[in-house]
Amino acid sequence: MTRVRVTAPHTAQGIPARTPGQRIPNQRTAGPLESREAAQDSEVGQVFVRSLIRSQLRLALVVAGGFLLILAAFPLVLVLVPGLAESGIAGIPFGWLLLGVGTYPVIGLSAWLYVRTAARNEARYRDLAGEQ
Amino acid sequence: MRRATATWLANNDSGNNLPACGGDRVSAGVALAAIAVVTVATAVIGFYGLRISRTTSDFYVASRTVRPWWNASAIGGEYLSAASFLGVAGLILLSGTDALWFPVGYTAGYLMLLLFVAAPLRRSGAYTIPDFTEARLASPAVRRVTSLAVVTVGWLYIVPQLHGAALTIRIATGLPSWVGSVAVVVVVCLTVVAGGMRSITFVQAFQYWLKLTALAVPILFIIFVLAGNETEPLAAPAANPTGAPPAGLYQNVSLLVALLFGTLGLPHVLVRFYTNPDGHSARRTTLIVLGLLSVFYLFPTAYGLVARVFAPGLARAGQPDAMVLLLPGQLLGGVAGDLLSALVVAGAFAAFLSTTSGLVVSLAGVISQDVLGGSVRGFRLAAVMAVVVPLGFAFMTDSLALAGSVGLVFAFTASTVCPVLLLGIWWRGLTDAGAIAGMLTGGVLCGGAMVVGAVAGTGQTPPWLAQPAAWTVPAAFAVMVVVSRATAHRVPASMPRIMTRLHTPERPLATER
Repeated sequence: MTRVRVTAPHTAQGIPARTPGQRIPNQRTAGPLESREAAQDSEVGQVFVRSLIRSQLRLALVVAGGFLLILAAFPLVLVLVPGLAESGIAGIPFGWLLLGVGTYPVIGLSAWLYVRTAARNEARYRDLAGEQ
Repeated sequence: MRRATATWLANNDSGNNLPACGGDRVSAGVALAAIAVVTVATAVIGFYGLRISRTTSDFYVASRTVRPWWNASAIGGEYLSAASFLGVAGLILLSGTDALWFPVGYTAGYLMLLLFVAAPLRRSGAYTIPDFTEARLASPAVRRVTSLAVVTVGWLYIVPQLHGAALTIRIATGLPSWVGSVAVVVVVCLTVVAGGMRSITFVQAFQYWLKLTALAVPILFIIFVLAGNETEPLAAPAANPTGAPPAGLYQNVSLLVALLFGTLGLPHVLVRFYTNPDGHSARRTTLIVLGLLSVFYLFPTAYGLVARVFAPGLARAGQPDAMVLLLPGQLLGGVAGDLLSALVVAGAFAAFLSTTSGLVVSLAGVISQDVLGGSVRGFRLAAVMAVVVPLGFAFMTDSLALAGSVGLVFAFTASTVCPVLLLGIWWRGLTDAGAIAGMLTGGVLCGGAMVVGAVAGTGQTPPWLAQPAAWTVPAAFAVMVVVSRATAHRVPASMPRIMTRLHTPERPLATER
């Protein structure tokens, strides 16, 4: 990948880190959503931001869609495979195990995959927009 | 103690179906002691926090310095309400695998929150949901409508907590129901007014682990004893203890829509994300929360299954929500039953206290900023306002099934706050007019369905009214998009800057180079 040299004004000094607990809620009319992004106002900066948002949205939708498909498949399997719901391990019917226990690892795995990939997307954005 | 049984049976005309044994009540003295211990522990941790919260920022969001593990435990503690602690197990006892969608939905709702909301909302830097919508859409009118929705959601959500407290007090001690609701309100007011969010964080974290212990220890002990005695099952897990018809496909899907989309709009859940130092840690916190919730929900499921197999009579007694409280006494009896019952009562009380105080903190944040000017004194006054109104509601209404009424609150949230959050974070085209129109549409449709359902009574409403999320949520989204498109000239000029802020990582990591 070729690196694009960005000549946005912010890159020289970077953006000062905020110290936590400084903001006062009374000042909300000025809007808490300011200042950090002023630097990314340039046209090129906006292109990077748009592509970051798109890739994060695509990631979220893919993970959500995949999870919902698996979730929908659980009851479907129980309906389609006769006798499966009643057979069980240690006296616990399989239908209960699948829905009551089996869904949680799927949720956890989806979440972990998402957090990892989202952080990677952000790292790529930093590479593109933040580095000189 | 006899009075406890008598009061409870008098409240259930079908109470004669109870198996004749001493296990249908909780020992009053031990239960009261357990409640007292939870209350005192809550107060002590709350007052300990008082010493370190001094500034306005401390009061609102604990200065955003809470560590992920603390924060995750606190989120778990706040989220696991009366519905999760009592309602889910009761519903599983009643309707078997159909009710398993409740715990799955409650947990999966957090996954949706992680995917679509957690990091951007933290990066917005706003304190409350109305703060966020106002800044995103540059419109005070949107702020007012969002505040209205948030306060409605919070009030509606506190009511079932108070109902749960009333039920627990009645069953555990035989005292009148109102004592339970009032006790929760007083304790919550004292802790919130005293310490704000900082002490709330410690209180909530403590209460997650208390709730987990209080559910896990008794059921594990019960399973151990049942297995040791080789107790014969009374019924098959698939057997229907009440003969009520199972839920249809529509109801299950609609419930799942409500739970998946409702979670990410809950005010007390969202306010927690502001206590993370940055967007990435907001995600990590959510990941931990998902683990904590997954572990927790194994236990209501186990209660439901054990009760279905070994104590199906509890379902016919008319108060399935009380099953978790009664099961240890019913299956074990004696001193062990009493002690374990007391532990469950303590956990249940922790659930009411933590969810109510979480809701009160976030409501007080909204009310004090919008009405009272955002000072610490205003926050305290607002906290009292936030809890007195639902107390009145709780006195006027009867307790429905807890998990069911909380499910309706999720449907309302999913139809009002959720669309404006999701579209606000991900869609550049959202306008103030679209947001207001969509929130009002969702609120009126879902609120209307809830009112009609409440007037008609349970069992009389058709599924599409009893479980409205499947059509009210798409309606709210559709109206929001269509009106925004029609008023595209109203997209605020600040939009690109704010979208940048929501989605870009906090710092260019100067420290790493």
